Amino acid sequence: MWKPFSVFLLLLLVSRFGAQDTAQPESEQARILTLENAWNQSVQQKDASALRMLLAPDLIYVDYDGTLMNKEEYLASIRSLALHPVRIVNESMNVHFYGMVAVVTGVCRESGVKNGKPYVLLERFTDTWVRRGDNWVAVASQSTLTQH
Amino acid sequence: MGFLAIDESQTGATDSPLQETSWDADISVEVCPMKVRVYIAFLTCASLFAAAQTYGDSAARSNILALEYVWDQAQESRDVRALSAIFDNALVFVDYDGRILTKTEYLERVKSDSSHMEQIVTESMSVLVLGNTAIVVGTYRAKGIENGKPYLRRRRFVDTWMLMGERWVCVAAEATPIPH
Repeated sequence: MWKPFSVFLLLLLVSRFGAQDTAQPESEQARILTLENAWNQSVQQKDASALRMLLAPDLIYVDYDGTLMNKEEYLASIRSLALHPVRIVNESMNVHFYGMVAVVTGVCRESGVKNGKPYVLLERFTDTWVRRGDNWVAVASQSTLTQH
Repeated sequence: MGFLAIDESQTGATDSPLQETSWDADISVEVCPMKVRVYIAFLTCASLFAAAQTYGDSAARSNILALEYVWDQAQESRDVRALSAIFDNALVFVDYDGRILTKTEYLERVKSDSSHMEQIVTESMSVLVLGNTAIVVGTYRAKGIENGKPYLRRRRFVDTWMLMGERWVCVAAEATPIPH
């Protein structure tokens, strides 16, 4: 039930914001932050279909352990049965706009179960979003473990 | 391709596919010379545009790779002025320990040389050019002496570059530790 709902929510989100041709920076910022949260929800629900819509085909993804993945590899990692994220929350997010490009930095707290063992991660991330037509898509994402 | 497809549909059935192709070509030249000229002009423009695009991306890639090497050298020699020219004032730098630094903080750290970096070597890099934006992903090794002990660190980085005016500047950079 959650998966189709989240896909619908994302479609609604993208089309709603997409209708604003002369969007103000504040609304664009809100839109990017919403997409960041939608990303977390998709990962938490292991909803690769919803997540696919947020990511550019040429996505570059670097995980907290330095693993480099393309879009399909990343989506496969989300679908992995060994990984069960329970809670993913972003904090201290900042968005820098450069025209059709937005760079988001923040801290992500993630907890869950991996290979049957509970885990807690605190990661600093940098995501780069590019506006393509009416939509924003993530072209790069990198996470680094942090204690700060 | 679309133009050829339309012409093929207008030719009608023939016994031999080979004959059909050659007859079709003759008809195109004699009956629709303007169409052919437009098609050739279109092909020429398209190929010139593609070549310019490829050249543009290629030039951008070379430029950015050169800047990445300048960054390494400037960091090694603690040339803060050179580094300052590479970065946007709003640079966001995430270090290997997850600490976030502004441009000023990063330059001060390089200047103070707190990690006593002796050498930084980029092992691999690839550049994805997306119009006025470029993403560089790569790995590097850094060696030096910290607190009297030598270190060798290997990291994977992603740098985001923007074309501002005629100059590429780095707006975001992050490094993640990877095993040796």
